[in-house]
Amino acid sequence: MPSTENQGSSSPFMSFGRSILSIRREQVHSMEANHDPNTQESEIELFLQLISKRFHDLSVVSADELLSLAWMRKLLDAFICCHEEFRVILLNNKVQVCKPPLERLVAEFFDRCLKALDICNATRDGIEKIRQWEKQLEIVLSAMDSRQRTMGEGQFRRARKALMDLAIAMLDEKETGSIFSHRNRSFGRHQSSKDQRHHLPGHSRSLSWSVSRSWSAAKQLQSIANNLVPPRGNDISATNGLAVPVFAMSYVLMFVLWALVAAIPCQDRGLQIHCSVPRHFSWGAPFILLQERIMEESKKRERRNSSGLLKEINQMERCASHMTDLVDSIHFPLTDELKTEAGQQVQEVTLLCEALKNGLDPLERQVREVFRKIMNGRTEGLEFLGSVNKPE
Amino acid sequence: MAEHGEEKLLAVARHIAKTLGHNDSTADDILQIFSNFDGRFSRDKLSEKMGDGDPRSCAALEHTLKSLDRQISQYVAADQPIWADSVDAGAFLDAVDELIATLREWHPMTGEKSVAACLDRAEDLLQQAMFRVEDEFRSLMERGGESFELSRPFGPGESAGNYQFDSEDEDEEGGMIGCGDDHQIPIAHPISDYDILIDALPSVTINDLHEIAKRMVAAGFGKECSHVYSSCRREFLEESVSRLGLQKLSIEEIQKMAWCDLEDQIERWTKAATVALRILFPSERRLCDRVFFGFPSAANLSFMEVCRGSTIQLLNFADAVAIGSRSPERLFKVLDVFETLRDLMPEFEAVFSDQYCLLLRNEAITIWRRLGEAIRGIFMELENLIRRDPAKSEVPGGGLHPITRYVMNYLRAACRSRQTLEQVFNESIDDRTSSSSLSVQMAWIMELLESNLEVKSRIYRDPALCSVFMMNNGKYIVQKVKDSELGLLLGDDWIRKHTAKIRQYQVNYQRSSWNKVLAVLKADNTSLAPNPSLNTMRERLKLFNLHFDETCRAQSTWFIFDEQLREELRISVVENLSQVYRNFLGRLQSVPEAGKHPEKLIKYSVEEIGARVNGLFQRGGGGGGK
Repeated sequence: MPSTENQGSSSPFMSFGRSILSIRREQVHSMEANHDPNTQESEIELFLQLISKRFHDLSVVSADELLSLAWMRKLLDAFICCHEEFRVILLNNKVQVCKPPLERLVAEFFDRCLKALDICNATRDGIEKIRQWEKQLEIVLSAMDSRQRTMGEGQFRRARKALMDLAIAMLDEKETGSIFSHRNRSFGRHQSSKDQRHHLPGHSRSLSWSVSRSWSAAKQLQSIANNLVPPRGNDISATNGLAVPVFAMSYVLMFVLWALVAAIPCQDRGLQIHCSVPRHFSWGAPFILLQERIMEESKKRERRNSSGLLKEINQMERCASHMTDLVDSIHFPLTDELKTEAGQQVQEVTLLCEALKNGLDPLERQVREVFRKIMNGRTEGLEFLGSVNKPE
Repeated sequence: MAEHGEEKLLAVARHIAKTLGHNDSTADDILQIFSNFDGRFSRDKLSEKMGDGDPRSCAALEHTLKSLDRQISQYVAADQPIWADSVDAGAFLDAVDELIATLREWHPMTGEKSVAACLDRAEDLLQQAMFRVEDEFRSLMERGGESFELSRPFGPGESAGNYQFDSEDEDEEGGMIGCGDDHQIPIAHPISDYDILIDALPSVTINDLHEIAKRMVAAGFGKECSHVYSSCRREFLEESVSRLGLQKLSIEEIQKMAWCDLEDQIERWTKAATVALRILFPSERRLCDRVFFGFPSAANLSFMEVCRGSTIQLLNFADAVAIGSRSPERLFKVLDVFETLRDLMPEFEAVFSDQYCLLLRNEAITIWRRLGEAIRGIFMELENLIRRDPAKSEVPGGGLHPITRYVMNYLRAACRSRQTLEQVFNESIDDRTSSSSLSVQMAWIMELLESNLEVKSRIYRDPALCSVFMMNNGKYIVQKVKDSELGLLLGDDWIRKHTAKIRQYQVNYQRSSWNKVLAVLKADNTSLAPNPSLNTMRERLKLFNLHFDETCRAQSTWFIFDEQLREELRISVVENLSQVYRNFLGRLQSVPEAGKHPEKLIKYSVEEIGARVNGLFQRGGGGGGK
């Protein structure tokens, strides 16, 4: 009985799969009335190749591009593409799909799809949060824009306040909880003119999530990853090899959601997911690489407490921090050096805001599209799983 | 020439003021006296800058700024809220206005060093004012609600903080609804009348907020203003919505909920959505428009930020219901959600009418369509259930099968929402079903039901019982159809056709059960011997009695629920039987060997035969319902 354990990821699944499928072909005719095994096999191969190619392309991008808004959109694009192909495979093999053991595997996939919907919704909330931060940055820009006004103390104070608002907004939810438990109002400031805005009541509660406080993105991800294991040999042969694309699609789904949660702020993010990486399949290689790269990113000192690994969030954090340093080091009269530096930073922030404004909406639209596709695919699938006449 | 003279005059006036005035306020007073004295010495002329490169041109500006600084700083440093006193507030705003105007006026001259320095200080002052004004704005927004609650006139049965809404919050104290924070939330409003306009904040407060917003926008602090506004109102709105009993549930949680719990949530959602779209959101819109009057894009943006979260929460729930299981029992609640969303769509589009809300509008429509799909899916699931219902055990006596009862009552109930269902089925752009109107769907379900029943009927070994079974179920079906909207949907033709089918089953029944019996009696008509002997006749009678007894015994447990049908059937059987039997008896008695008392040969009289048959198809021990 050929095992699925291949030494190293060098032996491609294709050849392994072929041997199983060729054994099958030698057996008595397939039960598949509407699909001959040859087309089925090439269909599966093509699908796995597609996954491999799309995710390979995603895995070899530069460090700058990885986890950027543009890259996230490419990721979701790749997902949608693979999902469509998978849908077609299911439709072409309806009869097989409705029989055990494939039936159970497909039903599990649809369960995972259901959980995925919540993560899509959480991501949408997260994108809105990022939008709020961007708006805060715009306030900083208004304050620092030297074209409109002269750069006076007032501007810097304003910028400092906006920066502090931003910093608080970008803190993880857990940490802000305690800060807001004391609300008090203070009028008038008896401190020096270069004071900080101490009263946190000036900062309203940030956006709340659309899910209950107990919902956890990490737990949701983990429950998707649970029991996600490569199919056993007998399952593969019993399903004419279809168990493999089901597993592959499930894995792709889980991975993409994991990447979304890693990049975009959401309630109770967590990156440590226990899931078996598909080392035995050649299409698994890009995922291994991507996972490594993303984990590496998360371990960098500056990113450890970040609310999301999205490149642009990192840029926001850095800009905000530089700006804050600059603003804190301001003393009047302004030196030319300071003026130039301020100008440069303003420029940087302006570009960042542009990028965010242009990138967030399309990303949100795409997340909604992913949501819709997953949902429709699931509904469609459940319908034909349920409609096939069961023997009485 | 005259101009030059005037300029000189003004310069002298200024000089006098400056020299004689020991401090700024005295100088100010002197200038005031001058301006009162003669129109040429108007304040703005006196403070007007003259010429470039004049170091003293800045003096006027400085002067103005000093005065403004004095006024503004005193307010900025004050402990108590400025807006506690409308006179103070007015004075403060006037000063701010002047500051902004001054800045605007002198801005072109920033090239000049002395002017630039002044403007720097002016900007600084403006920023301090804006910070303070922002605080005031926030506190007005937060406190405005409180005082409103206290001073609001109450309707009958209402009291401060009395929560009219049908909520399960039993731990609310009477009196103010606190939420542990300093401020309370005024949300007491009767929900029976959706036409009431809620003023979320008192008019005076709204006015104050607007006045502040104007200045913040003028000073370039519009974004901050919008941000404070949105944060405060969003909190309020989300609290209000959560107090309507709507829980924040994930899609997965909703799928896993027990149906009765979900039904409950759906009811809450229906109320919450209605209150939100008819009262809360329009109220927020009005508030936004008033506070940001004159700044439509700020108004639109702020409104969107305030309402987005709650709207998404409401839509997410509807979405989750649409995604849910297609179990037929869910139809009525899903219809509720569908209808609510449909009915609220005009309000939705009215309130979210601007460009920022386009995405939301589309979402709402998409979700509404998904609910339609869900409803179609439920009917498909019903079809599956019917198709798959196994023909396992017989219904005793050929009576009504539970599935017939279930399906017909279900469809009857469903068709009470006929208009909505027609909308649902007409909306279908699904190319799986070529024609997707409701009538077609209903006709199809009926066909499936019939096929299923036919399969079930074949379990009965006795073909006569098959027919009785089909009769009973067919009659029930036709009755329910006639008795409801289904009749309109299926049409008269359908009813006629199916009534005819019942008739056919009646005929089949007769044929398969009584023909055999009658055949015995009729046999002699075609016999070889035109005049059968007494013995033959007696034998035939015995056989007849045997068959008759058997048949009656076998059919004694059979049941026909419909009184009319029962009667019809009995009558036709009796008629048939009696005729042939009487005939036979007559011939029997006329056989010469019959003797003087041929009646002794007869076991059953014609009447007795009739009576036996008339006792059939009745539930033993009292008629009984279906």
